[in-house]
Amino acid sequence: MSHSDRLQQRIDSYLMELRRCLGELPPDEVRDILQEIRGHILERAEASGELTEEKLVGILGNLGRPEDIAPLYQADSLLARARTSLSPSLILRGMLRWAMLSVKGFVLFMVGLLGYSLAVGLLASAVGKIIAPHQVGAWVSPRTFSIGTNSNPAAREVLGWWLVPLGLGVGTVMLVATTRLLRWFLRFARIRRPTGDSALARP
Amino acid sequence: MVMKRESETAAGNWERQVHKGWLELAILASLWEQKLYGLDILRRLESDSDLVMAEGTIYPILSRLKTDGLVDTKWVEGEAGHPRKYYWLTAAGRRRALEMARYASSFLGRINDLISPLLEREEK
Repeated sequence: MSHSDRLQQRIDSYLMELRRCLGELPPDEVRDILQEIRGHILERAEASGELTEEKLVGILGNLGRPEDIAPLYQADSLLARARTSLSPSLILRGMLRWAMLSVKGFVLFMVGLLGYSLAVGLLASAVGKIIAPHQVGAWVSPRTFSIGTNSNPAAREVLGWWLVPLGLGVGTVMLVATTRLLRWFLRFARIRRPTGDSALARP
Repeated sequence: MVMKRESETAAGNWERQVHKGWLELAILASLWEQKLYGLDILRRLESDSDLVMAEGTIYPILSRLKTDGLVDTKWVEGEAGHPRKYYWLTAAGRRRALEMARYASSFLGRINDLISPLLEREEK
């Protein structure tokens, strides 16, 4: 293997590692990022005169480790997609990313989780009422109120078949309202960049 | 000895935090007069400011500025033999840069008033 082949291989393996770390990003975005970083390496290499292995190691070192750089893109991309998405799963993943980095994000993630849990619970109860009308219902006992199945012999069912339209209606409204609320919250999500001091410090 | 090392580490951490805070304004300011590509911006930061950083971190920041609508981009095939991604400020980016610059200038003035007695005492 020639000298230039070895250098090329080192550049390729850096970019492959970056591609691996960028994992969940859309392919177009990954291609764009790799093209830009490749251009950076090549230009630094051209500017360094005759490129040696030592100089290339320095260029890649100044660029930073792929595992430090990639999360900075992922946080941005995930939040950007979550802000405009209608998918509860994507929105919750965006909220989770925020929750892992700030107390405010954590509190709002819990609010979102509660909203989606209630929405799913109501929708599931409405469907459950159709499938098993005697086991599923809205139950009231002297001290409790619950929706779903019941194991308390003292509880009595209060809504009957009304649980189906009410569960479907209120569940859907909660699902949409939670989604819109979380998307609104995400407008204020700012993930600190760079996330780690190691990513900032020049080696 | 250990205490001195801890104090140096704390000072280093503080400096890194300060640099992080200024980076976005520095990038927007470097794009104020012209379109630049990533490495060009980095060279401007190296020559005109003391914002030492891992070079790879500038690209995710530029990506976020684009997502926020503060900069726009275009790939340009050039003499370099590989395409370069050029960045320039959008109208929103110019407004944001100006707001940040005004705030930074006033903020620095106040901080300077606060710390100048320390430096005067040190000179004496």
